[in-house]
Amino acid sequence: MDYELSPREQAWREEVREFIGEHVDEALADETRQRGNEGRGPRAQLFLDALRDRGWWGLAWPEEYGGLGKTALEQWIFIDEIESAGAPMLPLTVTSVAPTIMRIGSQEQKRDWLPKIQAGEIEFALGYSEAEAGTDLASLKTRAELDGDEWVVNGAKMWNTMAHHATHNWLAVRTEPDARKHKGISMMIVPMDAPGVSVQPIWVWPGLRTNALFLDNVRVPRSYLIGERGMGFYYAAMALNFERLSIGSIGMARRHFRALVDEVRRRVVDGRPLREDPWVRERLARLQIEIDAAGMLGLETAWALDQGRVPAAESSMAKIYVSELSQRIADVGCEILGLNGQLHADEARALAGGRMQWLYRLSPMLAFGGGTNEVQRDIIGFMGFGLPRK
Amino acid sequence: MRPVPTPQQEELRAAVRDLCSREVTVERLLVWEGASDASELALLESIAALGWLGLGVPVAAGGSGACLSDVAILVSECARGLVPRSIIGAVRGATALGVIAPKSSVLASLATGDNRLAMAVDEEEARVASSFSTTVEVEGGVPRVRGAKAYVPDAALSELHLVVARDGQGPVLALTEAGGPGVTIRELRTFGGDRQAHVRYDGAPVVERIEGGPAAFGRLQEVRQALALAEMVGGMDAVLDATVAYVQEREQFGQKIALFQAVRHQIADMGIRVTAARHLAWQAITRIDRRALCGHELASALAYTGRAFRDVCVTGHHLHGGAGFVVENRLRFHSERAQSLAIRYACEAPALEEIAGALLD
Ligand SMILES: Cc1cc2nc3c(=O)[nH]c(=O)nc-3n(C[C@H](O)[C@H](O)[C@H](O)COP(=O)(O)OP(=O)(O)OC[C@H]3O[C@@H](n4cnc5c(N)ncnc54)[C@H](O)[C@@H]3O)c2cc1C
Repeated sequence: MDYELSPREQAWREEVREFIGEHVDEALADETRQRGNEGRGPRAQLFLDALRDRGWWGLAWPEEYGGLGKTALEQWIFIDEIESAGAPMLPLTVTSVAPTIMRIGSQEQKRDWLPKIQAGEIEFALGYSEAEAGTDLASLKTRAELDGDEWVVNGAKMWNTMAHHATHNWLAVRTEPDARKHKGISMMIVPMDAPGVSVQPIWVWPGLRTNALFLDNVRVPRSYLIGERGMGFYYAAMALNFERLSIGSIGMARRHFRALVDEVRRRVVDGRPLREDPWVRERLARLQIEIDAAGMLGLETAWALDQGRVPAAESSMAKIYVSELSQRIADVGCEILGLNGQLHADEARALAGGRMQWLYRLSPMLAFGGGTNEVQRDIIGFMGFGLPRK
Repeated sequence: MRPVPTPQQEELRAAVRDLCSREVTVERLLVWEGASDASELALLESIAALGWLGLGVPVAAGGSGACLSDVAILVSECARGLVPRSIIGAVRGATALGVIAPKSSVLASLATGDNRLAMAVDEEEARVASSFSTTVEVEGGVPRVRGAKAYVPDAALSELHLVVARDGQGPVLALTEAGGPGVTIRELRTFGGDRQAHVRYDGAPVVERIEGGPAAFGRLQEVRQALALAEMVGGMDAVLDATVAYVQEREQFGQKIALFQAVRHQIADMGIRVTAARHLAWQAITRIDRRALCGHELASALAYTGRAFRDVCVTGHHLHGGAGFVVENRLRFHSERAQSLAIRYACEAPALEEIAGALLD
């Protein structure tokens, strides 16, 4: 047994760290903080451009598509470093949609879409969820009907997060109304500037914007249906699979935890350094144990992927652990920082950059989004331990 | 024993609920989050006209002379209905002053809502009174307050501040005028949407000194904590009720999500926490009221209720999914209050210390 990174992996980690050291500065951190900690502003865009120039958008892409074909473990190292530095993560267009198109698209579709993605010319919003189709995605109702050489799309999507920036939507639509619900869905690309597309903002608790998307007789060319008709549900699952490593990454939680620890090191309360308080010490130590444990689950997922397995149970374990641990970090953090921890991120004296109260607001979403934790627990039961499904 | 409200208290609850259902709409909550407006003042006036601001103020000072438990019922229902925290703060201020200084000359104006009282207790780097550095000293024949208070709720919208300071002997309580000389108020943006401020007192004249020293301060803390427990219990009830209703409405996979066993278990766990917290809280409130607190029970009630409220909110959010996450959903207002109340009134560390001390020392 061996838990050490290979020299190649070690060198990769160093390379990523060096890049981050050169490109993540106070101004980017400031912008990130002002945008509710994770939003994308002009400096974040510059950072992403720099990543692209370095060829790292194609980190996980196969070499035949101009990618670097990095192993899952190397991708995991990258995600971990980026997230724990608080740098902007690669867009889902690059990490989730593009690899799906590579697997399922026709030659023509790959030729049409991949170079534009690679050049940063287009960006997708992910249009899976609907108001009535959340965890039960397969019950989605937005429909597309063929009319000559065009699809006519009608319906509404909910939580279409990037819609107000995106050039296109990666849309799950029902094209086979008579088929069983999982078999009646297709994936389609819809340009955001097509007539009949409209977007309405929805603001959520952590201060982030998402959107409702309305499609009213929107016409798109027949060739914009990607892959096979009726396979959309499985393609959506495939696209989500490509996000496994990010969803179960402990990087963000570790970053917030580190900010908390730094703040504790500095603070003096009631004339005594906060770090001497036995209660504070115990809480922080317990969280550190949990962060170590959660990190192992992410590592297991990456390793299993590199063995050519589909690590369904492993990635569910990581997702549950990280999402619920984020809630505990936020809670303990708010409590340790006390009244000082409630300042809004844009107050100059906000402790730990206002992150604890922000994580408190964000973390519930980590548990119900990306496949709610009850379903993840079911997956661990039947995929991990062979429990019967019925 | 009678671990449920009296018929009169039930009547009060029903009246508050009725008012909240009419006056505390989500549209207004979103506005009040930014700043007070005419509708918030109108609500304050309605509540004053109903006699609720002065519910716990002695009759001689123009109040109703109700007991602390009755005021806690009022506060708990106001919290359930998401009455603005500034208004709950006005009730808290009038009640607290009524308890510690029943003859105070300003009580009548608090009961009518003509004045509001902010309580300036905490300091930036101090959590316990013995570390406070704000002082009251006589200068030129006039007692004056010097020092800085942090995170003072409603400091800018209150006419009067009750400042916890120190003199040579220990904690002293003094009233100052918020708009008077030597008072500088800097408003803060806090995530709970309440209106806190840092306040500097540079020789602000004391308009009234509250007698009683450390005992009065101790009683003030008990009253604040009792009313905080009431707020937490009310909020927790609202979150549980909303979640129980939502899981019976929301369908996924062709069924109400309430039919998933995993969902039912979470509802059951919320129910256990809420029920236990409610009794611990009301036991502590009623005993504070009767001045019959025993040992560690206030610490225990605060630690348990504070923790339970936050946990119940997290589960409530989880079961609501995206629907509970939009800023318009009432759930998140409760979750903000849960965190904000816990860090001010229900910190675990001192509670554990006190309980361990009761057990071991
Ligand atoms: C800020 C934000 C951004 C988002 N961005 C996007 C996006 O860009 N694109 C997109 O397509 N979607 C997006 N989503 C949607 C997200 O994926 C959904 O919120 C998620 O799938 C859960 O669906 P729901 O909110 O409808 O919750 P529901 O499906 O109603 O679930 C609520 C709760 O019900 C319970 N439950 C449901 N099913 C089961 C079951 N089978 N067993 C046990 N319990 C169950 C769980 O407790 C669950 O948490 C976003 C959501 C948010 C809040």
